[in-house]
Amino acid sequence: MIEIISKQILKIILLLLAVSVIAFTLVTLSPVDPVQQYLLGAGAVSPAQRVQLEAYWGVNAPPLQRYLNWLCALLRGDLGTSLIYRRPVMDIIAERFLNSFALMMCAWLFTGIFGSVLGCIMGMYKDKMPDRIIKKLCYILCSAPTFWLGLIILLLFSVWLRWFPIGFSTPIGMLNSDVSIWQRLYHLFLPALTLSLVSFGNIALHTRQKLIDVLNSEYILFARARGESDRTLLLRHGLRNTLLPALTLQFASFAELFGGSVLAETIFSYPGLGSAVSAAGLNSDVPLLLGITLFSALFVAIGNLIANILYGIIDPQIGKGAGL
Amino acid sequence: MNQILNCRTLNHRHILVLFTSIIGAMVIMAFLSGKLIPDAAAAVNISQKNLAPSLQHLFGTDWLGRDLFFRTLKGLSTSLTVGVTASLISAVIATLIGIAAAMGSKIIDSLISWLIDLVMGIPHIILLILISFACGRGLKGLLIGIAATHWTSLARLVRAEVLQLRSQQYIAVSRKLGKSNRWILIHHMLPHLFPQILVGVILLFPHAIIHEAAISFLGYGLPPEQPAIGIILSESTKYLSSGVWWPAIFPGLTLIIIVLLVDRLGDHLKLLLNPHTAQEQEDTH
Amino acid sequence: MKIRRSALIELAFITLLITACRTSALTGPADVKKDEVIIAISSEPTSLDPTQGWGHGTTPLIQSTLVEFTQDMTFKHDLATDYSLSDDGITWTFTIRDDVTFTDGVKLTAADVVFTFETAKDSQSSLDLTFLEKTEAPDDTTVIFTMTQPTATFLGTIATIGIVPEHAYGDDYGIHPIGSGPFVFVQWNRQEQLILAANEDYYGTVPAIKKATLVFMDEDAAFAAVKSEQVDIALTAATLAAQDIEGYILHSVTTVDNRGMTLPVQPAGKAATKDGYPVGNNVTCNIELRQAIAYALDREYLAKVALNGFADPAYSENDGLPWNNPDVAIETDITKARQLLTDAGWQDNDGDGILEKDGIIAEFTCIYPSGDSVRQAVALAASDQIMDIGIKINVEGTSWDDIARRMFSDAVLMGWGSSNPYTSYSLYHSSNMLRDDYYNPEGYANETVDAYLNAAMQALTTAESYEYWKLAQWDGETGTAMKGDCPWVWLVNIQHLYYAREGLDIGKQQLHAHGASMPLIQNLKEWTWNE
Repeated sequence: MIEIISKQILKIILLLLAVSVIAFTLVTLSPVDPVQQYLLGAGAVSPAQRVQLEAYWGVNAPPLQRYLNWLCALLRGDLGTSLIYRRPVMDIIAERFLNSFALMMCAWLFTGIFGSVLGCIMGMYKDKMPDRIIKKLCYILCSAPTFWLGLIILLLFSVWLRWFPIGFSTPIGMLNSDVSIWQRLYHLFLPALTLSLVSFGNIALHTRQKLIDVLNSEYILFARARGESDRTLLLRHGLRNTLLPALTLQFASFAELFGGSVLAETIFSYPGLGSAVSAAGLNSDVPLLLGITLFSALFVAIGNLIANILYGIIDPQIGKGAGL
Repeated sequence: MNQILNCRTLNHRHILVLFTSIIGAMVIMAFLSGKLIPDAAAAVNISQKNLAPSLQHLFGTDWLGRDLFFRTLKGLSTSLTVGVTASLISAVIATLIGIAAAMGSKIIDSLISWLIDLVMGIPHIILLILISFACGRGLKGLLIGIAATHWTSLARLVRAEVLQLRSQQYIAVSRKLGKSNRWILIHHMLPHLFPQILVGVILLFPHAIIHEAAISFLGYGLPPEQPAIGIILSESTKYLSSGVWWPAIFPGLTLIIIVLLVDRLGDHLKLLLNPHTAQEQEDTH
Repeated sequence: MKIRRSALIELAFITLLITACRTSALTGPADVKKDEVIIAISSEPTSLDPTQGWGHGTTPLIQSTLVEFTQDMTFKHDLATDYSLSDDGITWTFTIRDDVTFTDGVKLTAADVVFTFETAKDSQSSLDLTFLEKTEAPDDTTVIFTMTQPTATFLGTIATIGIVPEHAYGDDYGIHPIGSGPFVFVQWNRQEQLILAANEDYYGTVPAIKKATLVFMDEDAAFAAVKSEQVDIALTAATLAAQDIEGYILHSVTTVDNRGMTLPVQPAGKAATKDGYPVGNNVTCNIELRQAIAYALDREYLAKVALNGFADPAYSENDGLPWNNPDVAIETDITKARQLLTDAGWQDNDGDGILEKDGIIAEFTCIYPSGDSVRQAVALAASDQIMDIGIKINVEGTSWDDIARRMFSDAVLMGWGSSNPYTSYSLYHSSNMLRDDYYNPEGYANETVDAYLNAAMQALTTAESYEYWKLAQWDGETGTAMKGDCPWVWLVNIQHLYYAREGLDIGKQQLHAHGASMPLIQNLKEWTWNE
């Protein structure tokens, strides 16, 4: 087991390296001059500072050297200074990651719980009314753009009904030290809901399919013949065999989650990594952009790693179950 | 049981043909109408701003007085163009890479698999932002971005198919008869692959549109004068709270409907083309 | 399993219940405290360091300045108790108060003033102190500024540079500033909010507002915030302001925040800027075309239709200010516009409604920053009107990066406006031509005007300088006005619009400069709630 994991970790490191190359190349190709951008935004830079900046960016150096400079700085833990925030990129990522992580975990829980529950309902009542209605709903959700749903939610729950705040992660005007966890959750709710709608449809439909497969299998037939009720069937046999695959799918959908958070956070002005990366791109904040890209790749890679491990665990179980 | 199945499949095919023609007609109509509608119909007319939907203006007008119905159609056609172009480019890339992986040596295969993992390892939107940034934002960045992010799953599919085909008997026979790899590829494999690729493109296409809308919404896509659905929606958000809801709702609904329809079309096609799954799945719609 | 399922449901239900009960605890104090204010503005400062531009053009609330620019556009003593200018106009001598302390308890002395100005000069920021040669402090309460030449606008510059403490200045001063101004810095969450508290030890009148929270939002988000009553006052745009919101009053402040089109005055093809961007436009370089546009526009109609009436016609960069030459105003005259074009040889030969001359078609592009709905509306409305006289303007929204590259060869919907006449110098002096600071991208240069501008800067009294500023605009024959060289076609002075909760008194607002965010709060120390 440990061997497999260490091999995976090596793969991840290689992956991150490759991602950094791609990201750096893309950013270098941009017609925007990073130093010029910094200066335009900064407004006040002494000549000495300018020389320092140019050295950091290696403006006159060939791209390869620039990349190596950046990489060496990265390995030392220095991801550069953000243009927009005027602070080290590392600090910003650390701060905002917690916010984004909280958001993604909430959304993940919503998707997992509601997706599985609805999937089960659909599977249980296959082809009957509940199944048909919920299925149509899922299809529509899959087709709607996340940001549009987010806007509707914002309009409905924040502006019209005023049940929730219009954005941010903390109440306006409150000192950092005074904010409670309940308030954070309160501000978290709508963005998390929006984000959960991204993969919700998929999870529900997937769970439905898996449940149908399981319910059609032989051991279920046997259990039915023994006189077990529908409910027991579902809970004792169905859930066990569908939840784990659903969970695996969840872990593998980290990429979608992160991508969706970019949109959800922008709509709700939620200060997380998603809104930061969008702002970074728009304002040509290169260090921040690169930093978050790497980080997101790491995040997705970890998610995939966990999914792979889980899948390894599931397979033998299902194998055993089918052989009954 | 078989008789029932046969009946079902027949009906299914009929339904599918009907379905396809309706959707195809709608999509083509949306596309063409967008091109054919003169600029004037969706032009700025400030004296007519913020009118609610009426018979004259089916979707109402926006804050600059532009008729939303025509603007949406134009936007839709732009989005469709971008979506189709990007999907086609993606499909071509995916096919080439998939075939290369399956037909080439082991090393190439591992390399390509690793490449696919790499591209899938970066969240789509971030990659899109990066590419758009590299191209200085605008249409070019959008097309390249969407084409470059969507080829991965299709490539995997193509690779799996080709690998499977490779082990077929008639391929082995062809080889024995002295046909070159290229000949086998063109004459045996491609025809077999084609339906799969077609389904892949059709299923890819809604994702492409949604991503295009998302990226335009964030501000990376087309300028506001050349509308695509994403821009229309993004601009309309500003006026939502002032009670002008129709610029946000109608284009959004239109997008959802088109995406939904194309998605279902792709699903049906997939079922039809793959007899195995068609038999297993008793319920189709 | 059964138990688990229902337990889950119960748990969910209970959580929901608790959340609902605690809703009031979640939103923070529901009642508006009558000495706190929440302000939604759209532009966030990059730094709170006056030497890097914080407070430039308005007031650096956290720090104090030597003099203050009042609503009547005169200078009032602030930190300074007295000042005088030498006869040759080169040396300014200021005497400052000796009872001022920074909020960390250390006394403010002339040495801090010297430190501030030296640091500001070195920083090469948006503050222009190139005419300042040196600053000295012979004792704790006297400061002497020596200029390289007489600079009439110096007082205006001084009024906006806050004094920073030498002993507490470091690299992160911009995010943790200490000052002696009416407000104290409390907390800053970038891209979210900035919290200030009243300075109880302020040497002047302590502000009535004890806590001010600045929230940074776009106008549409701010609008939503106002509708859900989460902010007390919010900046809004003309395109959104046609609504009434219960409990709030719409304030409109007249401004000198103008919008106009810069039109490249040089022909294309010859030059490029030092960064390699193309210069010149073969259509707009024709003066009769520029003037025709200027005369053909109905500015009142523009203001009414594009901006719901929340704007006033603009004829120059400084309408309404004491150094404005009233002669720059022109009447809408379409006949004259058409005549100008015909006389110069523009004709519509192919009947498509667009004029041509010598193979050049009267068509050009005007770019604006996408996302700015006001500029978009104004540009579109203007181009609509201009179509009537046969000139086609293609309006295009794009990013500021792109504008920075294209502004030397395309028309741009720009805006300026400040309470310091130095802006006119930056806009029109040939030494500032084609730089990347957005002031003179049209490449304008006129020797006579240069002479007037130089004279204005070096005038020994403000009154004298005003005369020269006016001459630079129009001296009877030439000038920067639209009836002269017309490098800018001025469109409107937008009004700054704010939704303010009933009962909030925002004091007497000065004539606002460019940018609606900082000008609103420059008199924050005079705000109060009416019971």
